Amino acid sequence: MAFVVRKRREPLPWWGSCLVFLGAVAVALAVGGALLSFQGKPAWRGMGILLGSPVGSVWALEDCVLKAIPLFLCALGVGLSFRMAVWNIGAEGQFALGAVGATGVALTWGATLPAWVLLPLMAIAAMVAGGLWAMIAAALRVWCGANETIVTLMLNYIGILVLEFLVFGPWKDPASFGFPMTAEFAPAALVPALPGTRIHWGVVLCLVVGVLLSWVLRASRAGFEIAVCGQNPAAARYARIPYAAWVAVVLVAGGALAGLAGFLEVSAALGRLQPSIMTGYGYTAIVVAWLSGLRSGSVAVVALFLAALRVGLESLQLDLQVPAAFGTMVEGTMLLMVLVGGFWTRYQIVRRQA
Amino acid sequence: MRARWMMVLAMLLWTTGAWAKDFQVGFVYVSPVGDAGYSYAHDQGRKAVEAMEGVTTSFVESVPEGQDAERVITTMARKGYDMIFSTSFGYMDPTLKVAKQFPDVKFLHCSGYKTAPNMANYFGRMYQARYLTGMVAGAMTKSNLLGYVAAFPIPEVIRGINAFALGAQAMNPKAEVRVVWTKTWYDPAREKEAAKSLLDAGCDVIAQHQDSPAPQEAAQERGVYSVGYNSDMAKFAPKAHLTAAVWNWAPFYTEMVRQAQAGTWKADSYWWGMDKGVVDIAPFGPMVPEEVRAKVQAAKEAIGKGENPVFVGPIADQKGVERVPAGKALSDAELLSMNWFVRGVVGTLE
Amino acid sequence: MTAEMLLPVLAAAVQAGTPIFYATVGEILMERAGILNLGVEGAMLLGALAGFWMSMATGSPWLGLAAAAGAGAAACLLHGVVCTYALANQVVSGLALTILATGLANFLGTPYVGLAAPGFDPMPIPGLREIPVLGPVLFSQDVLVYFSYALPVAATVGLSRTRWGLRLRAAGESPTACRAAGLSVARLRLGACLVGGMLIGVGGAYLSLAFTHLWTNGVTAGRGWIAVALVIFAFWRPGRAMVGAYLFGGVMAFQLRLQAAGTAVPSSLLLMLPYVLTIVVLAVSSRWGRFFGAPAALGINPEPSE
Repeated sequence: MAFVVRKRREPLPWWGSCLVFLGAVAVALAVGGALLSFQGKPAWRGMGILLGSPVGSVWALEDCVLKAIPLFLCALGVGLSFRMAVWNIGAEGQFALGAVGATGVALTWGATLPAWVLLPLMAIAAMVAGGLWAMIAAALRVWCGANETIVTLMLNYIGILVLEFLVFGPWKDPASFGFPMTAEFAPAALVPALPGTRIHWGVVLCLVVGVLLSWVLRASRAGFEIAVCGQNPAAARYARIPYAAWVAVVLVAGGALAGLAGFLEVSAALGRLQPSIMTGYGYTAIVVAWLSGLRSGSVAVVALFLAALRVGLESLQLDLQVPAAFGTMVEGTMLLMVLVGGFWTRYQIVRRQA
Repeated sequence: MRARWMMVLAMLLWTTGAWAKDFQVGFVYVSPVGDAGYSYAHDQGRKAVEAMEGVTTSFVESVPEGQDAERVITTMARKGYDMIFSTSFGYMDPTLKVAKQFPDVKFLHCSGYKTAPNMANYFGRMYQARYLTGMVAGAMTKSNLLGYVAAFPIPEVIRGINAFALGAQAMNPKAEVRVVWTKTWYDPAREKEAAKSLLDAGCDVIAQHQDSPAPQEAAQERGVYSVGYNSDMAKFAPKAHLTAAVWNWAPFYTEMVRQAQAGTWKADSYWWGMDKGVVDIAPFGPMVPEEVRAKVQAAKEAIGKGENPVFVGPIADQKGVERVPAGKALSDAELLSMNWFVRGVVGTLE
Repeated sequence: MTAEMLLPVLAAAVQAGTPIFYATVGEILMERAGILNLGVEGAMLLGALAGFWMSMATGSPWLGLAAAAGAGAAACLLHGVVCTYALANQVVSGLALTILATGLANFLGTPYVGLAAPGFDPMPIPGLREIPVLGPVLFSQDVLVYFSYALPVAATVGLSRTRWGLRLRAAGESPTACRAAGLSVARLRLGACLVGGMLIGVGGAYLSLAFTHLWTNGVTAGRGWIAVALVIFAFWRPGRAMVGAYLFGGVMAFQLRLQAAGTAVPSSLLLMLPYVLTIVVLAVSSRWGRFFGAPAALGINPEPSE
């Protein structure tokens, strides 16, 4: 008896991806648990802490939301280009430049402008800075055919060094005892919290951006053209769809979204710019984007889930002294398993007909 | 197996409240504790606290400075920790924020300058040890060029480089210190390359403000000398290692916890030095001659007794402008915010 | 700049370039067979850890090297299996491998940070070391560097003169034709993953066994990504990869020496140089490289056929 792989006529519908996602999570947790017990730590209790502590209190839930905000925005950005098989993995650098742009505005006009002018200005500056940073990759891709994966990645390293150059040099707060950070922002430059919570207004911004983006992708001509370009570049060119222009657009838009996340992080979470703002949201965003199957709604769910994992991981460290790299490993396993599982949504294994 | 049952039992008792509650102490670290560097040194101190009667400790490592730190510290406070040490400069504002929300918990922040009724700050006068290691390096160099592989241009590091240069000049007025910034705390490959670049520039003693022992290796391979940091690094480069400037947090941490248990703890600014044993130098390598040892030993005693505050005038900066007039010493606040190099240091501050 | 200053930079360039060079050749083999592997960074890191751990456990750096090759091969084979059998997107699978392997290496490696293991020390070749310029630059290195000198020839001959090499390239250029000739594309590609992965693992181990004798979390610090970029710069030819790798090593070594010489340029700007150079090199070579071209089926998984 022999089996062969055959392509499904129709890929499995949404429940297929759901099953795959759940399966991937299960495998990743199993691998994680096995490694825990390999190191002589109680695996079951560890998993309990990892999954339980983020939902154990209102306070922890608020934290999950706070952490999910930058992940969500960055993941929307990279997901947008993934739809076109354009591999922007530079959200980290674009996030840094966004933070730099917003900080530039806050330091220049923080004392003079009222919040309702200043905050939108900061947001715009962040999006422009992040977008321009991505534009470098876009231009090189369109004009030279340079691989955008490598360029965006190298721009991550450079972007972080730009940020460091500024906070160690021209922007260093004279009152910071020589430590690398800018002056604290004026109150007008801080995104306020929603009344009664610790969650800032950025979450509303996320909702607006998310809804807007899924509308554009689903219902507008732009969304249609992007979809065509992603599925079949040759057909797109034949249909006179400006493929190169859309490559540039998705890259720059992704940069702008990551920049926006940088703005929120610097203004709502820290209130000043310092190198420690870079905590790898841009890389986790890649995992989020792919795990969510590039659907805007799912991006929110997965961003929350990965944010919860990070929050849970800290409790896991505190209670069981698990190394911090545990989280990265679980994330990587999940991503790989979703890829493997994706096979079942597109193919089936059937018995060979005699 | 037995340990696991004990653990389960302990958890049951703990959750039902039948356990007499230990004094819980939490530590927040900026890097992995295994790095044999800065966080490792703090963790050695934590282990001394753990060994105390009626005290349990825990830690979280690799905590980014900022929002994450605030969450970790809050989690600790909410879980009922009685005393929390946050050990990196960037934790200052988060610690202060959490301290205001949990007035019953005692907070201690390392290397900053802010305090609150329930938040102390603390640090060690590492520059004293740096000065002594500089003396050794200054006495041993033949080229009069000392190399310094440094992490980030922040006051703590700059202070150390300056003290090292002053120590070297005390033994050898012609000594010059070359600085290379790596912008990493622990990247052996880059730090070794940085050390080699200093060796190629003619330096014949390599000092470091990095957590990895890679610069020591580079010095040994070229057959020149090195000065370690954090802990005794002699085992990485036995032929090169002259001495090292080392941390020893145990006396400070145990004393703080003891005071807290006794109810005498105060939210002060603690800046302990060589006299209390928080900083020290590692044993000399066999190549250090007796007369140098004697001079360093004498200087160590003078520092311990408070007779030599290290940063005492006249001190000029890189451009030769007098920063500290003769007979005056820098205040603690001036030391904490130091952002200029003394004369004889070659390097940028960015 | 005098020759006196230049020689150490050149010697450092060779040394700093060697780990990148190993990884680049490994990646070239995989890409020639049609497997785009963005997991180089992760595979190198696993290799660095495995090599360090084995060398520490047994006291033999040679066993460490073998372990590193094994770990690199295992990581790349995982990627190969996910791509050829599960037909997963090669770009994302590579990224997943980097994330997974980085996490795994840092998780398992935490206890070994700050320890030293026996490794390879510089071993100047008697006679050859006396040659002016070439002696100190090329022949005063460690044994892994000497091995790497053979790589371009071995890889080029392997790819263009052996039957295995021809088939491997067929798998990368035209899997359909390959299959029509009765060859298993999957097996050829996995073979490339095995050999390429071993080289990538050795590249990682160079950092923890020869360059330094230390392990740390993230010791590769982006070198794997530079290797991926260099493949394009090298137009998929091992000989050119050598030039590119040494160029990078040179820039890395040079910017630190600028600081040591007392230059007044802020260090952040100097540290950007290798990354800026990567982008420039990539842009320029991509523009030219359009005519040299990547393997036609690079990154494409052939559909299963009945």
